[in-house]
Amino acid sequence: MAEQLILLTVGLPWLGALLCWAAGDRHPRLQHTLAVSFSVAAGIAALLLIPFGYERPLVTLPIGGAFGDFTFSPDGLGVFLAAVATVIGSLAVIFSVDYMRGEAQLGRYYAFVLFFIGAMVGLVLTTNLLLMFVFWEITALTSYALISFHNDDPKAVAGGIKALIITQFGGLGLLIGALVLFAHTGSYDILAVIANPGLLPSGALAWMAFGCLAAAAAKSAQFPFQTWLPDAMEAPTPISALIHAATMVNAGVYLLARFFPAFEGVPGWREAVMAVGMLSALLAAVMAIVATDLKRVLAYSTVSQLGYMVYAVGAGGVFAAQFHLLSHSVFKALLFLGAGAVIHSVGTRDMRQMGGLGKKMPFVRLVFVIGALALAGLPVLNGFWSKELILEVGLEHGNPLWMLIVMLVVSGLTAFYTFRMVWLVFYGQPRTELHAHDAGLAMKVALAPLALGTLSTWLLAGSFSRLLSESLPAHRIAAFPTGEILREVLTAPVTLIALLVIGLGLAAWWQRDRLTGLSQALASLGKAAANSFGFEAVNRAVVAVTQDSAEKLRSTQTGMLSWNVAYLVAALIVVLAILALGVGLP
Amino acid sequence: MNPNDAFILAVGLPVIASPVIYLIGRIATRKNPKVDLARWLALLTLLADGYFLFIAGMEFIQSRHELLIAIGAISLRLDGIALLLAAVVLALGTLVTLFSGPAVARDNGRETYFALLTAMIGTIIGLGAADDLFNLWVWFEAMALCSYVLVAFYRNEAAALEAGVKYLVQSALGTVLVLLAIGLVFANTGSLDLDEIRLAAQPSGLMLAAGALFIIGFGVKAALVPLHTWLPDAHSQAPSGISAMLSGVVIEAGLVAILRALGALHLVTVSWGALLLGFSAVNMLVGNLMALRQTQVKRLLAYSSLSHMGYILLGVGAGAVMGSEYSAAGGFFHILTHAMMKGLAFLAAGALLYSLHQAVGNHDPLVLDDLNGASRKYPLAAFAFSVAVLGLGGLPPLAGFMSKWQIFVGGFQTGNAWIMALVVFAALNSVLSLGYYAPLVNRLYRRQPAGIVEQGRPIPVLMSVPMVVLSLGVVVLGVWPSLADWLTGPAAQSLLMLFGG
Amino acid sequence: MTISIPTTVIIMVLGLIGIGIYALLTTRHLIKVIVALQLLVKGAMLALVLAGRLTGQEELGQSLAITVIIADTIVAVIGMALAVQVRRVIGTLDLRSLTSLRR
Repeated sequence: MAEQLILLTVGLPWLGALLCWAAGDRHPRLQHTLAVSFSVAAGIAALLLIPFGYERPLVTLPIGGAFGDFTFSPDGLGVFLAAVATVIGSLAVIFSVDYMRGEAQLGRYYAFVLFFIGAMVGLVLTTNLLLMFVFWEITALTSYALISFHNDDPKAVAGGIKALIITQFGGLGLLIGALVLFAHTGSYDILAVIANPGLLPSGALAWMAFGCLAAAAAKSAQFPFQTWLPDAMEAPTPISALIHAATMVNAGVYLLARFFPAFEGVPGWREAVMAVGMLSALLAAVMAIVATDLKRVLAYSTVSQLGYMVYAVGAGGVFAAQFHLLSHSVFKALLFLGAGAVIHSVGTRDMRQMGGLGKKMPFVRLVFVIGALALAGLPVLNGFWSKELILEVGLEHGNPLWMLIVMLVVSGLTAFYTFRMVWLVFYGQPRTELHAHDAGLAMKVALAPLALGTLSTWLLAGSFSRLLSESLPAHRIAAFPTGEILREVLTAPVTLIALLVIGLGLAAWWQRDRLTGLSQALASLGKAAANSFGFEAVNRAVVAVTQDSAEKLRSTQTGMLSWNVAYLVAALIVVLAILALGVGLP
Repeated sequence: MNPNDAFILAVGLPVIASPVIYLIGRIATRKNPKVDLARWLALLTLLADGYFLFIAGMEFIQSRHELLIAIGAISLRLDGIALLLAAVVLALGTLVTLFSGPAVARDNGRETYFALLTAMIGTIIGLGAADDLFNLWVWFEAMALCSYVLVAFYRNEAAALEAGVKYLVQSALGTVLVLLAIGLVFANTGSLDLDEIRLAAQPSGLMLAAGALFIIGFGVKAALVPLHTWLPDAHSQAPSGISAMLSGVVIEAGLVAILRALGALHLVTVSWGALLLGFSAVNMLVGNLMALRQTQVKRLLAYSSLSHMGYILLGVGAGAVMGSEYSAAGGFFHILTHAMMKGLAFLAAGALLYSLHQAVGNHDPLVLDDLNGASRKYPLAAFAFSVAVLGLGGLPPLAGFMSKWQIFVGGFQTGNAWIMALVVFAALNSVLSLGYYAPLVNRLYRRQPAGIVEQGRPIPVLMSVPMVVLSLGVVVLGVWPSLADWLTGPAAQSLLMLFGG
Repeated sequence: MTISIPTTVIIMVLGLIGIGIYALLTTRHLIKVIVALQLLVKGAMLALVLAGRLTGQEELGQSLAITVIIADTIVAVIGMALAVQVRRVIGTLDLRSLTSLRR
């Protein structure tokens, strides 16, 4: 039964992708129907798979040799993320029925969305590190293809290629990790190294640990690779919600959480993970404060919230990280789809042109505000509970206090930019004449469950902790009933401090006119933030140097025969010299 | 049928059939210019040849005994490397023959084209199986002669002639160096037989010089940087089917010649493998950087062949130095997947070149701007092209990812820090290569087609069939890489025997 | 002072190869390039014959040389045919006008 469900959760979306593509762009209704039915079916299969997370059945496709056997084994972490990918995936597909209506090349759109969903499921269910890398790369490929879905727009093309190249560059870390694992154990079995990290010599384990950190940082748009995510916002908005907020970017956090028991003993690894998370959370929050593009604000906030999760893993709170991942997937998908409804309706992403839209789009305002409150971390929404759990972990295990203080400050910044965003879009006076209309039926069908989820997923805390605790013995996660977790959060002093800071952030937005002196003092910081603190400049410099040296190298192809012969003679002399010196590999 | 006889036929049939194809094709065309008998004869020959190779190859695979054949001065050995090269060249050659009809039909001399293509396939099979140094040279030279004419096939085009001249002069210089090397080895060991040379060759200055001459002489054909300068010209100016053959198998045949010669000299020095690895690094970097800013599609693909030769060298080099079987198998796997992917890329580019330019009677090169929005009108060619270049860029689930992976795994298994660093460098180069492959795909899927696309002619069905076959192959091997193990495994073992067994 | 036959032949081989490569590096005329290739091959051929003599297998050396002559003649024919076409299509045999393919 479990075998069939695994194959269905990966296979159904892929089959759907083929069919959507084969249906042809002349039959858009058929394509919409196919995409919705296959993604929903995959979602159901993934939900049915959840109980098997306790049993951890093993499915093996024998390949062998340098590729290892392709194995899948759903455990708590795997079935949970597969469910997130497929359920939010199907909601994004349903949303797309309205959002993408009338677009050309729908076949390509749906094929890649479904291809992505299947790959994401494979990524979290496989226990073969090579296969994980394969799925990792397929998600990068689909992400690239969907960011630059509008290929006629040079910004979309550039954004897609940037995302592809940066995530691939970071992905080298995972590649090295997989190669090291195979070179030392002769297999790609993830579970073996998690159960017994001593399989690898400590040096090799360190390479693997930091390689995975680099890969995770690139995939989850963490410091110093965060620059691709804002540019990825050229994608159609359901894609931003699905891939760039709720699922693919979680893969990095998943990787770190999955390998935590193996890597926690590597000197400096936990501290590095915490530092990456903290820096990402802080820098992105500051950038979100000054951004004016609605989707970019959400993108920066994604980086920032993923920073919380990465920080939590480093701090030893795998459960807190995964719980926040669940909350964030739901409320950020809600925010993105809500933003998509706004953008679809008014035709711009610039918040400076919006304002007062709430009256025209009451439904969207309602659900967006729910999502925003969760992002800001206000009780009793799901974001509140999970964020407080993370902050609590920051106090444990002898983690540095100053990092926790930074994370507390970030939660204040989060509240500030969230309210700024909601205000600029839905409240105040309209700043330009915009023709707005409320969301369509398919959009509402997608938004409503997400809003309900934002209000309620925290009730799952108890059963979620039991699932992870029982199926991931190496992670040493303690299982508590929901009531106990909630009581613990409510009675923790950190919670009070955090609420105070969040309140401060709120107050700062209401009193923003009084704070002009402060904002002028911070103007240079704002300017630096608007320029992504120089990271964009670094990116541009790397590209420029590469292109420049490529162009210069072209002059060596002179097109003159005598030069070609001269190269040949020179090469002969060099080879003779190397042979005369007897150069060999040490 | 006796497998030895089958193999003699597999080597000899294309070479013997070549003049027949020419004559009959010529007569048929004279009588009725519309009849394209030469192509069908060539196809028939290659299919029959495939049958003979199958019989001989199965015998070798099952018994694991190399087939040794000597007829007069000709001596042949069917080992893993020979079988791999023969299988790749026959498979790709058959598809190219099927593809080539329309693209050369308008020009006079299509019977020359098919006769020489068939002969070239035969000579490459022979080259892979050559068992003595002079045989090796003869097959190599014969292959080169066929390819000179094919590169300059469009003999009224200035660019094609220029490419042909450069190719001929550089190759001819290379073959002279090989002859000198043979002279040195012959004078030192008194033998031309590869096995006898293996036993007799001792470290000495002259033998080192012979090795250097082999590397440079054969290396011209294998497109080692900086001997590669003819390649972007020849590969971009040749008819597209020939470009596919040149990039897909001819440069690899040059590499096999290097391996055979150096294998015989493997006791002379420890530097052979280090040299191969050195060329690997240079080839990857230079190929990618040169491709990055190209505007002509076929020239871009030609430069990317340089970098893929680098990956192959990394595999076989690490196999030769460290005896790593996965490395060697990965290198040969990459020869196979690169032939499929680069063959597919050139055929797809060729199909577009044909429908956008040649079918309307102009000989302009296919430039990147011509690809804009091509998917609207040519969905199959655009899809095939995308599969090919994304596979070349090493993205899963396509074959190129898996063959690169096997090379990398082998490299890390050696445990040698230099080779591991080279693997990381190779992976970095894969990322760099996406910098020119990805924008190419983006162009194909624009909504607004280029003007030239809107006026383009349809792609003939026979051009589409090879594209479908190769696309499927690239995907299937990407999902199920071990399907090629029966071919790459024995080739790897043969290589390890050459360099140490 | 007497110079042995092998030494003489080695000097001739080196001389032919040297002249050939020098010509390839410096000449700007396509026909001269083809002549230079001929010189190079002749040098290599002599080397093969000499190798046969040095190892006491003169017949083998000579048969190699004859095979090379055949192959070499075909190269020369193709080269000349190309040159004729170059003259016809491009209008000159000067290598400096054969530089349209670069970068």
